[in-house]
Amino acid sequence: MDPLVAAASVLAAALAIGLASLGPGIGQGNASAQAVEGIARQPEAEGKIRGTLLLTLAFMESLTIYGLVIALVLLFANPFK
Amino acid sequence: MTEGAPQNVSTEPSKSMQEYYKLQQELLVMVLILSGIAFVSVWLVYGLNIALNYLLGACTGVVYLKVLARNVERVGTDGSKRVGSSQLALFVALIILATQLNQLHILPIFLGFLTYKASLIVYMLRSLMPSDPS
Repeated sequence: MDPLVAAASVLAAALAIGLASLGPGIGQGNASAQAVEGIARQPEAEGKIRGTLLLTLAFMESLTIYGLVIALVLLFANPFK
Repeated sequence: MTEGAPQNVSTEPSKSMQEYYKLQQELLVMVLILSGIAFVSVWLVYGLNIALNYLLGACTGVVYLKVLARNVERVGTDGSKRVGSSQLALFVALIILATQLNQLHILPIFLGFLTYKASLIVYMLRSLMPSDPS
């Protein structure tokens, strides 16, 4: 593989995974913190809060997954080599 | 007499948590149904090899959802507010496996994995529908 392409791919993979995990990371942290607070205030609504948290986290984490796919494809199955 | 002890301590899941377990089960059933339909469709259109790749991704998606649900269940119980990210390791392992083995294709595996998201969207749409009054 051309060293320039290899270097650019590694840099792009690092940027992809870094940027893709930044936003969802902050969002997941906020969501789970608020959910824990909600459960502490209203233990009778625990199931509903955890259900909503599960759906929210699954949606948020798929954004990280997109970045992860790009990064892994660039690293392990680079189409530009 | 034990003063200050909780009155209703039991090992059985509370009624509120039953709702959560029901949601988990509904999502699981929906992922399985959608995976089955998509598997047959892919088999008919693209052949068995691609369909098996799709199925591998869909199965990993089911395990991913189960691990995520287990992690969500643990949030706040052990004093931490963080959700574990062990479920992502599954996906990373799957994609690395798909890139390293010649028999596997990345795209059908990835799309199979995303079946769990389709089931979440279907569940959300169903929950938006007005419920049956009967």
